[in-house]
Amino acid sequence: MALMQITDEMKRVDAYEKARGEATYLCDFRLDGMLYARMVRSTKARANILSIKVPELPEGYYFISAKDIPEGGKNALHMIAEDWRCFAENDVRYIGETIALLVGKDRGILYELEKKVEIEYEELPAVTTLDEALEKKAVISGEDNIMCSLECEMGRSVDEALQMADTIIEETFETGYQEHVHLETNSVACNYENGQFVIYASAQCPFYIRTSIACTMGLKPEDIIVRQMTTGGAFGGKEHFPDVLAGPLIVACNRIRKPIFLIFDREEDMEFSVKRHPSRTVFRTGVDRNGDILGTDIKIYYNAGAYLSSSYVVLQRGVFHSTGVYRFPAARAWGYGVATNCFPTCAFRGFGAPQTLYAIEMHMDHIARRFGLDPAEYKRKYFLKQGEETITQGHIVEKVVLEEMMKQVTDASDYFRKVKEYGIGSGKGIGISFYNHGGAFTGNGEQAIIKAKLKLRKTGEKVEILCGSTEMGQGFRSIMRKIVSATIGIDIDNVIYDNPDTSKVVDSGPTAASRSTMIVGFLCEKAAKEMKERWSEGDFEVVKQYEHPEGHPWDQATFRGDAYLGYGWGAAVVEVEVDRLTNEVSVKGIWSSHDIGRPIDRLIVHGQVNGGIIQSLGYAAMEKMESRNGRFRQTSMSDYIIPTSMDFPRQEWFLVDNPYPWGPNGAKGMGELVFNGADAAYMGAVERAIGRDTFSIPMPPEDLQGVIDRR
Amino acid sequence: MSKIYFTLNGKRVAFDGDPLKRLVDVLREGFQLTGTKEGCGEGECGACSVLKNGRLVTSCIIPVGAISGDEIVTIEGLRDTEQGRCIIEAFAEGGAVQCGFCIPGMVMAAQALLLRNPHPSEADVRLAISGNICRCTGYDLIVDSILLASRKGEGLW
Amino acid sequence: MVNECYIPASLEEALDIRKNTGARPLAGGSDLMVAYKRGVGITPVFPFPILLISQLYELKGISVQRDGTVVIGALSTSSEIAADERVPYLVRKAASLMGAVSLRNTATIGGNIGNSSPKGDLPQPLILLDARVVLQSSTGKREMKVDDFIIGAKKNYLRDDELIVAVKIPRPDYTYCYYRKIGTRKANAISKLSLSALMKVEDGIIRDFRASSGAAGPKVRRSRDVENIIIGKSLKELPDLIDSVLDGWNSIISPHAMPEYRRSATRRMLGHFLEECAKAPEAGIIE
Repeated sequence: MALMQITDEMKRVDAYEKARGEATYLCDFRLDGMLYARMVRSTKARANILSIKVPELPEGYYFISAKDIPEGGKNALHMIAEDWRCFAENDVRYIGETIALLVGKDRGILYELEKKVEIEYEELPAVTTLDEALEKKAVISGEDNIMCSLECEMGRSVDEALQMADTIIEETFETGYQEHVHLETNSVACNYENGQFVIYASAQCPFYIRTSIACTMGLKPEDIIVRQMTTGGAFGGKEHFPDVLAGPLIVACNRIRKPIFLIFDREEDMEFSVKRHPSRTVFRTGVDRNGDILGTDIKIYYNAGAYLSSSYVVLQRGVFHSTGVYRFPAARAWGYGVATNCFPTCAFRGFGAPQTLYAIEMHMDHIARRFGLDPAEYKRKYFLKQGEETITQGHIVEKVVLEEMMKQVTDASDYFRKVKEYGIGSGKGIGISFYNHGGAFTGNGEQAIIKAKLKLRKTGEKVEILCGSTEMGQGFRSIMRKIVSATIGIDIDNVIYDNPDTSKVVDSGPTAASRSTMIVGFLCEKAAKEMKERWSEGDFEVVKQYEHPEGHPWDQATFRGDAYLGYGWGAAVVEVEVDRLTNEVSVKGIWSSHDIGRPIDRLIVHGQVNGGIIQSLGYAAMEKMESRNGRFRQTSMSDYIIPTSMDFPRQEWFLVDNPYPWGPNGAKGMGELVFNGADAAYMGAVERAIGRDTFSIPMPPEDLQGVIDRR
Repeated sequence: MSKIYFTLNGKRVAFDGDPLKRLVDVLREGFQLTGTKEGCGEGECGACSVLKNGRLVTSCIIPVGAISGDEIVTIEGLRDTEQGRCIIEAFAEGGAVQCGFCIPGMVMAAQALLLRNPHPSEADVRLAISGNICRCTGYDLIVDSILLASRKGEGLW
Repeated sequence: MVNECYIPASLEEALDIRKNTGARPLAGGSDLMVAYKRGVGITPVFPFPILLISQLYELKGISVQRDGTVVIGALSTSSEIAADERVPYLVRKAASLMGAVSLRNTATIGGNIGNSSPKGDLPQPLILLDARVVLQSSTGKREMKVDDFIIGAKKNYLRDDELIVAVKIPRPDYTYCYYRKIGTRKANAISKLSLSALMKVEDGIIRDFRASSGAAGPKVRRSRDVENIIIGKSLKELPDLIDSVLDGWNSIISPHAMPEYRRSATRRMLGHFLEECAKAPEAGIIE
């Protein structure tokens, strides 16, 4: 390859090896003497374990459980809290909770052994829905099943606004579970090499794994090495969840002292892995006679499952995005993370924002149409502007270019003409949504908790990037090498960036929260600039650490201040036609515009936009994951439906130029932004096509029937 | 049990074992050809796609005994041919590759299409890869890359 | 665990083995290998002996008899069926929409009928066209209508010593036909609901009318009684009779999961077909 300018479109650095089938994912990796593991899991949502009968194990087969956690260790996986146990012991709190690990050489034998394990339970009353938990059918957390909560408000008094209102519009919106379906299932291995435990993981956050299982073993994090393998997709599903595999594995490896691989089958992955939080958003919005909003009270409930994992942060983000891209005279949002005896919910692209953004967009659509106004014209009246107050009583720091973005997508889609032509209930519809996503860690995460570091090491003519951020398909390894190549002015082939090994790189924080390019990329650019100046010094290293820009306070105790320094912004239009015979929805067009600052690579951005939008459309149109009594009903790729190449048409996409001062080349985060809006644009279009309001997603054709038939 | 003979990437090979062993396991573990991936184990996702007598099939649901006498081509057998290199180059240039797990299967699907239809339309391409699930790309750039391969590879198919 | 598996070199050998061991036929594998899967890297284990018939040339091929009956070998794959223009349109259409490319290259018509799943794609148009399965054992051959062969919910009348060797479709005779499958998504989809219909009109009189619903119950639904409501009537009378046909059809659809959607979608699709036919358009496929 060659010297890169930032504006050159690049071939991803890993494209050839992946396309040639030469990339090594964990399932392709072999270690001498390797064994396999199979999880033994709870089949009850909530129960006491009375007895466990292990079948007779052949030579070389082991049954590893809580009793094998070493002296000085803890039966806990340290995530943000330490409530998620490594192994269930004495009781179980959700269907699928890890009780034990069977380890041995032959996977067929392990499969049969697992079926023979007999567990006697004493079932306890369980809460497996939001309503059951809120009604306290049983209390499984604290006094009221509320695991975590927060409240935010801005502007004038919401209660006064509601009092003065001519009408109070009450609406409730619900969203369902969503399963990541990363094409490579969850996979982790553990080995004991040269006196140290080494974890090989398909993962987003090697340093998270290290901290988590060090706690379990009573070791120092530095005593454990975690090596990320080429990772076949993640979307948040491999942010904390690999800990749940790594914990039992390291306990097993400690006992057996042989390499052990745990690779989930697809059914296992679908049924027994973390998912997006199902939500309920309840609005009470006061409007005057013309439909102008005086104030809104929003109550948000997320089903967090049995353990906290990242739910409090997910909830915070949901609350901070609950008023969307709008500035209302008065707004108040309450968020509740509700404990249930369901599989814990955790990170998934958007991390709590998609749920509340979907809700506010639909709510605004409904209010607009109720007063005979076009949703696009209605929504733009409330667009946030630079400097204006957010729900956390902070301010929008950057210039907001939603007007320009709206013009791009409405022009390209011919939105206004079609709105008139299609009317309401004609079978054709067009919808529009506006959305944003705060870049990097919510609140003071970056400066107070993560304190990201990045190291560049110069050796001769080569520069190696040593940071903990991971490539999971989003193009990060390519972006970083491009930044170094273009900034220093060296051939991109001389820039090295391998999958991180925690013993070799510094902790740059999790690869999540749309922070990698924005925060870690910025550190990289800074480090590269210094390295360029000092290039003649020979071989040396440069380390940069995150510095929070002055003048943007945040109080984590009260959730007040500038929650995010830079938001990505989006506008999406979706056009549909609904088959009057079968209710099948055909999407006729998809148009989007995004403000991501300034792209580091347009082709990589293009791929992210396409991918995020299709996932969002799947979330709205077809991805139904039902939970009944704590058990997921869709557990295979033929039952849980995600989009194929024929489900949606080619997308038209636009970017606006709005460079961000604290991002490399002006770039802001975008990985999650692109998920946050197409779902509401799609549902808005469907509503106009069928002439009915809807209040939940997913909404596959069979559920549309119920909506259409509704009086 | 007698051996199962078939042609693998141009070479005649023999498999000795349970004829009901899944072809994907025979390839990945028996022959150490790990380019073919397993994404679902039920023929739904296409990550395990290989060519059988020039036609696209999902190797995770085919017992090796059922391909006796057939010609099997995997990504390892395609990637260094002119056709394979053309497709792979187009995928790299076209931005088709993100996490990469679906990609060997997509490359095989592209080959299966171009063998039959060297000048496909966009609709033809979308149909040809409709059994290959991708969670990362939203498909547009994969479609573009296959169309690019057919243009740049004029005369190869 | 080792499977008991036989790989016969000829149909005769296969039938012998079947008679002596009761081994179950495995053709493409798309049903059995999924039903008995055990996970990554693990060979399925079958609780019965398996007869691998995928390479038996006697069961391959498509031909047409002198009277226009199309004979499809049991090992014909969906893509072979979909590509052969001699195969009646309704069957070709169903075959072309089954699963995705790879599945169509693997799944066989014999397997699809033998599996007798309520969601199977091919039985539905075959039943509409009064197709017959040809069953062979080492002692002889017999034929029966697919509609009689399939009992429903994965059960059929295959004897322990028989194999499905072919499917015969009598030459269809119709003026209008209709096929619609509603899948879980636009491609690579399991059938949620499907409908085939055909009508023959001669001199303004409805000489024949047939409809069959797939994935609407444990078995493909077809009803001569309902069909007879309009057979023999004139096309002019049809509009007034549509409601009674639809009501009749509604009563034969099984009330299982998502009853409302299946009922109303079926009703609308069938109603659409009848309304279009009543307009006496040019002969062909009703969209």
